[in-house]
Amino acid sequence: MEGLSWRSLRHEGLALAGLCLLASALAVALLAPWLAPHAPGVPAGGVYAPPGAAHWLGTDDGGGDVLSNLLYGAQVSLLVGFTAAFISVIIGAGVGLVAGYTGGRTENALMRLTDVALVLPDLPLIIALVALTRPRLLNIILVIGLVGWAGTARLVRAQTLAVKQRALVLRARALGAGRARILLRHILPLIFPLIVVNAVLVVSLAILNESTLSFLGLADPRVVSWGQMLNLAFTRGAMSAGAWWSLVAPGLGIVWVVLGCTLLGQGLEQLLGPRRQGHHLALTPPAPGPVLPPEPDAPLLRVRDLRIEFGGPPVARVVDGVGFDLRHGEALGLVGESGCGKSTLLLSLLRLLPAGGRIAAGRVEFGGRDLARMGEAELNQVRWKGISLVFQGAMNALNPVRPVGDQVEEALRRHLPELDAAGRRRRAGELFELVGLASSRRGEYPHQYSGGMRQRAVIALALACQPRILCADEPTTALDAVVQAQILELLDQLRRELGLGVILVSHDLGAVAQLCDRVLVMYGGTLVEEAGAPALFERPRHPYTQALLQSLPDLSQPGRPLAAIPGAPPRPGALPPGCCFAPRCGVALVRCHTETPRLRALQQGAAACHLLEGER
Amino acid sequence: MQRYAFFLRKVGWGLGTVCFVLVLNFFLFRVLPGDPARAGVRDPRLSPQAQEAIRTRFGLDRPLINCLESLNPLRSGPCFTNPLDTQFFRYLANLFRGELGFSYQNSQPVAQILGERLGNTVLLLGAGQVLAILLGVALGTAAAWKADTRIDHAALVLSLLAWSLPTFWLGMVLLFWGSSLGLPIGGLRTPGLGAEGWARWVDLARHLVLPTLTQTLVFMAEYMLIMRSSLLEVLAQPYILTARAKGLGTFQILRDHALRNAALPLVTLVALNLGLTVAGAIQIEAVFSWPGLGLATFEAVTRRDYPLLQGVFLLLALGVVGANLAAELLYSCLDPRVREE
Repeated sequence: MEGLSWRSLRHEGLALAGLCLLASALAVALLAPWLAPHAPGVPAGGVYAPPGAAHWLGTDDGGGDVLSNLLYGAQVSLLVGFTAAFISVIIGAGVGLVAGYTGGRTENALMRLTDVALVLPDLPLIIALVALTRPRLLNIILVIGLVGWAGTARLVRAQTLAVKQRALVLRARALGAGRARILLRHILPLIFPLIVVNAVLVVSLAILNESTLSFLGLADPRVVSWGQMLNLAFTRGAMSAGAWWSLVAPGLGIVWVVLGCTLLGQGLEQLLGPRRQGHHLALTPPAPGPVLPPEPDAPLLRVRDLRIEFGGPPVARVVDGVGFDLRHGEALGLVGESGCGKSTLLLSLLRLLPAGGRIAAGRVEFGGRDLARMGEAELNQVRWKGISLVFQGAMNALNPVRPVGDQVEEALRRHLPELDAAGRRRRAGELFELVGLASSRRGEYPHQYSGGMRQRAVIALALACQPRILCADEPTTALDAVVQAQILELLDQLRRELGLGVILVSHDLGAVAQLCDRVLVMYGGTLVEEAGAPALFERPRHPYTQALLQSLPDLSQPGRPLAAIPGAPPRPGALPPGCCFAPRCGVALVRCHTETPRLRALQQGAAACHLLEGER
Repeated sequence: MQRYAFFLRKVGWGLGTVCFVLVLNFFLFRVLPGDPARAGVRDPRLSPQAQEAIRTRFGLDRPLINCLESLNPLRSGPCFTNPLDTQFFRYLANLFRGELGFSYQNSQPVAQILGERLGNTVLLLGAGQVLAILLGVALGTAAAWKADTRIDHAALVLSLLAWSLPTFWLGMVLLFWGSSLGLPIGGLRTPGLGAEGWARWVDLARHLVLPTLTQTLVFMAEYMLIMRSSLLEVLAQPYILTARAKGLGTFQILRDHALRNAALPLVTLVALNLGLTVAGAIQIEAVFSWPGLGLATFEAVTRRDYPLLQGVFLLLALGVVGANLAAELLYSCLDPRVREE
């Protein structure tokens, strides 16, 4: 695929280094007759003569020139390595392709066979086979090749299963193309890069197996190989004669070729593999700037001029100049298309940004402290106890190998040290009942729960330490309508009973209308409109909010056509100049493309739009 | 119920593989040119009595196995034989009694040689693998935690280099270096050192240093690479973010949420790697004259001692199959999801 092009190869240092090592070894093997000063395996000097002008790498136990043997040895190593690997890969790929594509009984039988072959120890099997059939180069190649196919088969089958469902392959099947044709013309090209990467690994294993075999005394006596050189040196007193050169040189030869394969394989794998996501252990550094004294009569949470950046240079500005207040018992909705910075905004409140993210400016004031500039240890006290989160996609928000109740109790142990084990268990049970889960299911694992139950468990977890603010990121996506309504009902009830501040991020404007008092509309990392929920839904002011509401079905106006917003939201780091909604706005002025509008207070709420200038 | 079904299925599968190994072992050593029993009869190193003993023990005058025709109950052609009177049955019966024939070398029973040497191999493999796993997991964790820093890159390059070293060669280099430090160059204990108690153990430990070091270096690299990539994958999972949002510290997250999950693939790998581990043992024992199964393999090959080779092959294959089964069952205990697939 495109990943294998020469250009990307050039950028990948590992692969290039490996390729150089292999190419030079190949050159040496091909040019050995011209490069080597002596014929291979014949006496050319004294026994164990140290390296010198006559013999650059000294001589071996029979007086043979080590350098010449080393150069000729490359031939055997590469010949056996590549031909044996070729046999293994052809068999393995064939078995894997057929098993993966045909499925059913054939697949079952082939994969059982593969499993058995994988479990059998390679080297003892190879040793037994070569010992019984006499060590000849051809036998060695065949045996190593025939024994090492199983790993490839398993890999290719898994990949074939994945590729089989791709549109291209499905189309070819629908058009009635024959099996062989689909396998060879459509599936094989798709998995070929994977086979190449795997083949490189198989070559290195084959070379290691060949040299081990030779070292153990099962070398073809008619040719010189590196393993055999080591065997002779080792068994014929090089060690006691102090003839290190006869031990070091062939070993370095093997390392040279195998390292070449390893580096090439590793490099190619990095090129072809999916890009790894950053991990969640990366700490978000405190924001720059001095810690300012807290503002008087501050609400529960006050966010001021928050700016969040990633990477750089060039810097991607994901959230810019966002500010809002959240009062006790208030529910705030945060809406906008995907990629507008809503989730990032939530994560930044507790400084939980993905690796590379940072708060570049602004304040997050909670309980008289600025969370953006707190020490990590202090912040860990606020996390979950002060502000807790319900993450998007509850599927993976719980650790799959620990019981659900255990994960709730863990939060209690961290933040409520006054509770003893029995108290924690009791409290966890109460929390389960609170969200409508049977407390008897505390000991079960997440995979034993249904999607709705998992979502409830995640909410129970978020409520465990009686936080003052609950931030919920799409808590009801992927749930059916009944469960959705139940969960929203639950959040609303908790907010009224406990005075909980709620921030709800959702694509579901209906849910927002049902739960929230106020709504913030985000676009391109900025706030474009803010208003009380009834006002916003009745009379949206900003063109983006209007477009967003137009794209929703409305039961009170049946027959109204739904209008999707043309285009896609801008990528952070590539924001257009002026108002970032202007390119998609139906009523944009010339000025909108050059001048960024500021958020301006209106009679009800606020909006950032040039068209609303002068209005109230 | 589901759980028992899972265990039964796995154990059944393991037994099936064992049967396959038994059959493979029989045909491997009889159909191929080197047939141990036949070669044994002709081997000039054996006395006529011993040759006769082999002939009757293995039933060499009997057919290998009933031919297909004899399976037809209506016909009793020339190739009909009592199934209990074939070589295959005798092979199974002998195996069942623990009789694996006699080594050509000193006419000792193969089973006895294997029994003496098994313990030594287990000692060597145990010490090396435990060290390799501990160090590999520690290094892999450090590399993943500090991903894409200099520590990570250095660990990656060193691991790739260590992975590319042939085990036997690394052993020889260490042997060369170790002997200059005065460490013993081979064997299990110093001959003639009649010491009892403490001194004996010290002597054994000194003999263990170099072979264990070799094994640790070779396998540590691989465990480190696997642990690193597995941990990186786990650390990108949402539940790690949940753990951080809960206010847990980095070490607590690693200990309670990341390491166990990341170690799961490692359990499978250690099991799948047993074949490689055994291969490593053969090389290390050959270099350090460590009297275990690996050295037995080496000796059997160099001396064309087929009964011994067959015995070693059988024992190693069965050991790897059994250990694999154990690892799969262990895995199912560690990961609650596996049992219900």
